[in-house]
Amino acid sequence: MSQRPATERLRRLLVMLPWLMERGEVPVAEAAERFRIDEASLVRDLELVAMCGLPPYVDEMIDLFIDEGVIVAGVPRLFTRPLRLNRVEAFELLAAGRAAMNLPGADPDGALNRGLHKVARGLGEDDTGVVVVNATPATVATLTDAAAERRRVTVSYQSHTADAPSERVLTPFVVATAHGNWYVVAHDDRSGEVRTFRVDRIESVADAGPAEVAGPEELPMPGEWFAEGDVARATLLIGPQGRWVMERYPVDEVSAPDDHGRCTVRLPVTSERWLERLLVRLGPAVSVLEPESMRDLAERAATRVLANYR
Amino acid sequence: MADRVERLTNLLALLLETREPLTLHVIAAELGGQYPESEQARRAGFERDKAALREIGIEISSVTLSGDRAGEMGYWVERSSYELPDLGLEPDEVRALQVALAMTRPDSAVGEEALWKLGGVAGGVGGPVRMHLPELESLPMLRAAVAARHPVGFEYGDVNRVVEPWGVLLRDGFWYLVGFDRHREARRTFRVDRIVGDIVELDEHFERSNDSDLRSALPDDPLLLGAEGATTKEAVIRIGVRRAAGVVRELGSDRVRAVLDGGGVEVTVPYVNEAAMRSWVLGHLEDAEVIEPAELRASIVAWLEGCVR
Repeated sequence: MSQRPATERLRRLLVMLPWLMERGEVPVAEAAERFRIDEASLVRDLELVAMCGLPPYVDEMIDLFIDEGVIVAGVPRLFTRPLRLNRVEAFELLAAGRAAMNLPGADPDGALNRGLHKVARGLGEDDTGVVVVNATPATVATLTDAAAERRRVTVSYQSHTADAPSERVLTPFVVATAHGNWYVVAHDDRSGEVRTFRVDRIESVADAGPAEVAGPEELPMPGEWFAEGDVARATLLIGPQGRWVMERYPVDEVSAPDDHGRCTVRLPVTSERWLERLLVRLGPAVSVLEPESMRDLAERAATRVLANYR
Repeated sequence: MADRVERLTNLLALLLETREPLTLHVIAAELGGQYPESEQARRAGFERDKAALREIGIEISSVTLSGDRAGEMGYWVERSSYELPDLGLEPDEVRALQVALAMTRPDSAVGEEALWKLGGVAGGVGGPVRMHLPELESLPMLRAAVAARHPVGFEYGDVNRVVEPWGVLLRDGFWYLVGFDRHREARRTFRVDRIVGDIVELDEHFERSNDSDLRSALPDDPLLLGAEGATTKEAVIRIGVRRAAGVVRELGSDRVRAVLDGGGVEVTVPYVNEAAMRSWVLGHLEDAEVIEPAELRASIVAWLEGCVR
């Protein structure tokens, strides 16, 4: 059996011990599942710390034993409180909580806001240390309700490329926001598939009765939506002024910066028009390395736009 | 040899419970044979243990002793820096934090560890709404600097800055640092992902002014982002029929100055930050044309000519 590093075992023990002492008696299986550790390792580590304590190692010990598959914690003496939240954990909690407070359905008087308030105070800050502001269009609430209540909706959808909006019947499963945009993952009656739609391209939405299709077992998270394997790729050389691209869009690979701070970035390209928009906005901060057919894409798009001004 | 976890646990218990700083000599004697005999091997073992505890997030305090042990180092672990204070969280509040993490950071090992410490568990829940949170390595330390009121130093836009951080703000997919820029002597907003290199936390304390509410730091409209105090200008943009409906929905119908033959519109758009304005216009490619002001029109033309080369 491979041994986990000592630091990881100790870290897990220090979070388990206060919980066990508070509970008193806990089946090994329950503790193992809760703390994601196999039962044999759990038992071995607990039996080990049961021999630990303060010198001369007679009575000031971690009072704990395992009997017939049950962990029994006696008098709590040492390690009765969990370790403080470290910086990364603290940020994770606050950012997740503040983000969730910004989502539809959040209740300003609810448990989350009360809990966040207490956590922020415990970390020595007020409620403005971490702030999340994310605009939520009205359509989002309609789609969220439809997903929660298992309803279908009829939408008018203006795609990237089409000249006119199309009528579709969607069965929404998840509504999500990423990179400043809102998306809905929904079954689409036109294609018969589960697809992702940009909420800001939905021009109208109306209820269309109860859902008739079940959701897929696993829904992709927003960060993964564009990263499908069958989408074409481009390789760009991006200067320091264009670093936001790596933050804003999913990328396959980013090289270390060269002497001019430029990185080679490989990323999925959902459509040629999408890449045109990106290139023209980046201007001198970017050039296309591959595919060869797209090396002059920025020039072609810029020429088209310039025609407006001439 | 004894299991390393055993020695680390005993060492930690000893350093937490002691009422006075302990020298390595005393620690080794108390731990009775758990450290090697030789002075050098013992010191090396102790340093490794200190590093291991630090890796878990436990700081070992030390002080140079005086009196009959003058010159020797004494060690202990400050209980208040080790223990999580009782936050007074109710079970429904911990559960709500669990749901929040499931909606925004599913599969986060860090989030799970945090929930464990609060007496909760991770996963298993999550409604139909989710938010993707962009991750940046520097955010946790920036937040800690905000809480501790420590100024931070970093390079941004080719300039070295010293900033009194008031908070971090996620706005439409980007993280910003809001604070007081000491050199500019004014409130400034920085995109965290555009900070170049390492951020240094300064070992001093600043007082926060009363008007430092983060919510007012960024205007609602990203086109109005930029240097505070700069004047707001107004642009007139002609939008082609293909994007007209979407743009009107985005800006509001009160921004429509004229409806053109064929279905296009002219909209008025206030802005502060020319780069943001340019990016917004160019994002529409040939479906948007700047009509006014003349200098913005000229700068867009120059930018596009730069793309054509």
